[in-house]
Amino acid sequence: MLDDKIKQEVSKILATMNQPVTVELFTQEMECGYCKETHELLNDLVSVTDKIKLDVHSFEKHSAEVEKYQIEQLPAIVVMDEKDRGIRFYGIPAGYEFSSLLNALLMVSTGVVKLTNDTKAFLDYLQKPVNLKVFVTPTCPYCPPSVMLAHTLAFYSDRITAEMIELSEFPHLAVKYGVQGVPRTVINEKWFVEGAAPEAILLEKIKEAL
Amino acid sequence: MDFNISLTSAAKPNELYDLIIIGGGPAGLTAGLYAARYKLKTLMIEKMAVSGGQLTSTEWVENYPGFPEPVLGQKLAQDMEKQAKLFGLEVITEEVTKVELAGNIKQVITPYAVWKAKAILISTGSSPRLLNVPGEKEYKGNGVSYCATCDGPLYPDKTIAVVGGGNTAFEESLFLAKYASKIYLIHRSDNYRAEKILQDRVNANPKIELMPFFEVVKIDFDNSEGRRLILNSNKTDDSVVPAQAGTHAVFNKELDSRLRGNDGLGDSVENEVILPVDGIFVFIGNDPNTKLFTGLLELENGYIITDRAHQTSVEGVWAAGDVQAKALRQVATAVGDGACAAYWINKYIEDWSE
Repeated sequence: MLDDKIKQEVSKILATMNQPVTVELFTQEMECGYCKETHELLNDLVSVTDKIKLDVHSFEKHSAEVEKYQIEQLPAIVVMDEKDRGIRFYGIPAGYEFSSLLNALLMVSTGVVKLTNDTKAFLDYLQKPVNLKVFVTPTCPYCPPSVMLAHTLAFYSDRITAEMIELSEFPHLAVKYGVQGVPRTVINEKWFVEGAAPEAILLEKIKEAL
Repeated sequence: MDFNISLTSAAKPNELYDLIIIGGGPAGLTAGLYAARYKLKTLMIEKMAVSGGQLTSTEWVENYPGFPEPVLGQKLAQDMEKQAKLFGLEVITEEVTKVELAGNIKQVITPYAVWKAKAILISTGSSPRLLNVPGEKEYKGNGVSYCATCDGPLYPDKTIAVVGGGNTAFEESLFLAKYASKIYLIHRSDNYRAEKILQDRVNANPKIELMPFFEVVKIDFDNSEGRRLILNSNKTDDSVVPAQAGTHAVFNKELDSRLRGNDGLGDSVENEVILPVDGIFVFIGNDPNTKLFTGLLELENGYIITDRAHQTSVEGVWAAGDVQAKALRQVATAVGDGACAAYWINKYIEDWSE
């Protein structure tokens, strides 16, 4: 998937990983727009670092894992360390979202999170579950900040799960959630923030949704 | 398939930078490239994870010299960033909330840190101007868009209105025509600022219909009959026959009669015209991103006033690109501003003392 130049660049970036990261990929052979490409992309990443362990699951055959990770669409990527951090990618993380994937790998591996003290204080006492669905298109330059922020919140708090959803692969979700512009972050199915909202604004909305 | 890599640098807030660049569009990236080559310790603070500013929300750039084949705006932005980083520019993703510009050491404050530098370059650019009509705020991001490359793919075989008469409106209409089945290009007059070459291409595109002398007065997207725009036809020239008594005269009589329901496309309410659409894209110009600097720097209509060295009214603070008070706002002029500002900043840093 990646040409040699990009592979070199990725290799340099992933050299800063320190702890091993597990990537769970869910695919199926038929009726999956970008399963094959996503698998090839992850193979490319595995080829430049020994810090990534890739597990591939078939959606039809591995129903136990599908249930365990609550996989809803294909292809699906889970980025985790020894425990599931609630970080998901639905659809191929190509275009601008490739940076979101690298960001998730580095964050889980290094444990470095960039959040304000206010946000951390709120997350430390968060009791209720929060699900964030960030709708994106691969050509949207304003989308990665929203995905990275949602994934950072999920990594920091056990209560939060965060999904990148690549809309052009799942048009039915665009209809279901009424998405007509990206990025859009849907909070607990009902509330939403449109545009690349800064941390403080997303936090306000999460508080409203609880 | 494209794979973009833009990750934040591991910069340290306790260091004193020679230069902090606020905003990562073409002006900032060029200044960053030049400053890094002058060996200035330079930090760029960009609120988006991806540099490039407005370059990233346009599809093709055709008037940037050196690219006889048009270059993708997103590709050009990515390459500019890559080139500047190659020479040592640090780029971080944070949103600046406050600046302290007085004195020898300037401060740039974000939710995460206080950054310090000897000199500041402001290249915050401009943002799309709003129509300021009812319904716009309510449906922003939900049918009202300012970014064709972002939201175009959400309108396959749909009907779209595009508002504006400049290069952006025409370029983005051509891009959107790849997805939508019908585009109404609405402009308040027939005096288009778009380059002639773009006008020719739009005229040749069967999916795009020009609607001169129309103004959007309301974005009526919660109507029970479906999403629609309320337009006013504002041609009052005597040479045009009034469509009917009591209404404004209409430039495009054929179109007007269609919109007024003669073929079922829409119907009229008094002197307004109804246009059913699935979404609306607004490209009516830009406003400078100078809220942070109001009261701190001399501005002209919101744009930052600079001297010939691109320095602002405050010593040690420069401005480059769209945010500057000037005549032409293009990628080509932005990179020139950025390079020139970096030259004078380097001189300033050579003489700088605490």
